[in-house]
Amino acid sequence: MGKTVLIVDDSNTMRKIVSRALRQAGIDFSEILEAGDGQEALDVLANNKVDVVLSDINMPNMTGLEFLKAKSEDDSIKDIPVIMISTETGADIIDQAKALGAKGAVKKPFTPDLINETLGPLL
Amino acid sequence: MNHAEQITDATCEIFSSMVMLKVTAKEATKRTKPEFKNSITGMVGLAGTVKGNLLIHLPAPVATSVTTAFLGMDVDCIDDDVCDAVGELANMLAGAVKTALDPSGSDIKLSMPSTVYGESYNLDCLNSGISVLVPFNIEGAEFSVELQLIDG
Repeated sequence: MGKTVLIVDDSNTMRKIVSRALRQAGIDFSEILEAGDGQEALDVLANNKVDVVLSDINMPNMTGLEFLKAKSEDDSIKDIPVIMISTETGADIIDQAKALGAKGAVKKPFTPDLINETLGPLL
Repeated sequence: MNHAEQITDATCEIFSSMVMLKVTAKEATKRTKPEFKNSITGMVGLAGTVKGNLLIHLPAPVATSVTTAFLGMDVDCIDDDVCDAVGELANMLAGAVKTALDPSGSDIKLSMPSTVYGESYNLDCLNSGISVLVPFNIEGAEFSVELQLIDG
């Protein structure tokens, strides 16, 4: 059975770009789900079996860091791995994300190879 | 590295890796006219130890061409997809400039990207502080990226 990825970004453009990068990287997901902010992502995780999450940090309503915190407090979804994809890749922010459970970070702009290097070990 | 070089490096990297279009920087200058015609501007604010704005200005035909390349779909006028794409370009450019100005990432915050477009609109030029505008050639046309940093 194929795997499912959830892409979380307030930019529709960036969700499309990440989807394209996954295909270009040769990572074959059976389903690609999308959410526009952290709260939408929690709703998707509550209703779907998701294998990995790719999430932006700087989003309205619920940021990526707030999403990580909320996810870590829910036993039913806390073990789903999350990779941050963001322009916000300063050491302090990435440390915060990792402390909240993020498994890695990819800086925008990115290449399909970089996505593959970061995401591959989690699949 | 000065601000013009930061803008040039970031813009070339973003366009080559994400938009798949080659751009060539021209000599940096300072914007003197506030008005834009049939264009779209994407902007992101910087706040914290450094305050200012990162802006990308594209004539409408360039914006639609860039969005077509960026998203891999045909776009022939400025719509929500173009606004979102131009906003995301501004976001990535601001992120690159922020990284150069603030390697720890904790001293400068970025706003959410926003866009303005139309047949004719004005954006104030910065009279004090730092203002750098780098024009770029792209497939025979031109767009520009501007950094405004406010004193104090």
